[in-house]
Amino acid sequence: MDIEIKTIDKDRQEYIEIGCWRVDERVNEIVRFVKLKQGSVEAYKDEKRYRIPLADILYIEAVDDRCFIYLTDDCFESRKRLYEFESILPAEHYIRISKSVVVNLMKIVQIKPALNGRFLCHLVNGENVIVSRKYVPDLKARLSGDTK
Amino acid sequence: MKDRIKDILGSFFISVTLINVAMLVLGSILMPQQQFGYEVFIYPLIYGVIGIIPAVIVREGRELSVKQMIIRHVIQMLLTVVLLLAFMFGGRTVDRELLIIAASVAVSVMIIYAGVVVISWFLDKKTADRMTEDLIRFQERQNSGL
Repeated sequence: MDIEIKTIDKDRQEYIEIGCWRVDERVNEIVRFVKLKQGSVEAYKDEKRYRIPLADILYIEAVDDRCFIYLTDDCFESRKRLYEFESILPAEHYIRISKSVVVNLMKIVQIKPALNGRFLCHLVNGENVIVSRKYVPDLKARLSGDTK
Repeated sequence: MKDRIKDILGSFFISVTLINVAMLVLGSILMPQQQFGYEVFIYPLIYGVIGIIPAVIVREGRELSVKQMIIRHVIQMLLTVVLLLAFMFGGRTVDRELLIIAASVAVSVMIIYAGVVVISWFLDKKTADRMTEDLIRFQERQNSGL
């Protein structure tokens, strides 16, 4: 595989492009590595420890004293508290939408009404998460870019 | 708390408007010859207050799912019907005429209640559509690094 690196203007988002004949395990490995370099969190499933790339997280939900990290088709448990996640996760992409849920704004496909001034975030994997009334103004401000 | 008061006031004013419409329709059909004094203007307000009593009493401690919220609305609607019928017809002798009027009132309340929910839903839908448009722009901004 040839490696080509070029510098781009500072006003553009940095990116990595992979030219390949087909997406195989080798390519997936590179993608996983790049995602991990962008940040990751430790999580558990079946007593095994994993590192979850932040970019893959759809939402994090607190249930009683436990926190669950939801990906497109997987779920992991974390020992961190929800407020700890809020300080770790990149603030521009993640936002608290209820007492128990922090969602990745980049994984929302559509926002729909959910009775009583609440809203539903329809995610890329087809799941819906509820936005409580209390958190609606924050979400509106973040999406419109009005963060004063 | 502020949101709750806003919710309840919103429901009250939408209810009063729809109660006026229901009184006009029901009165024209059931008692077209009936004459009223100025005191009649107070009734939609009283019925509106009765209509929001269940919403004031019933509070949810945790986040309800959409299904649970619908069930809560149905329970509140039934409570409203019972309260209104008790206020309007309590102590009167039950006869055929009273039953017809009571049934009409009950159906009207259900239509009004559904009307309030549907109107609120459409207002929220407008907000949701605007937020979705903002979301798409937000994601484009983030992806282009601006």
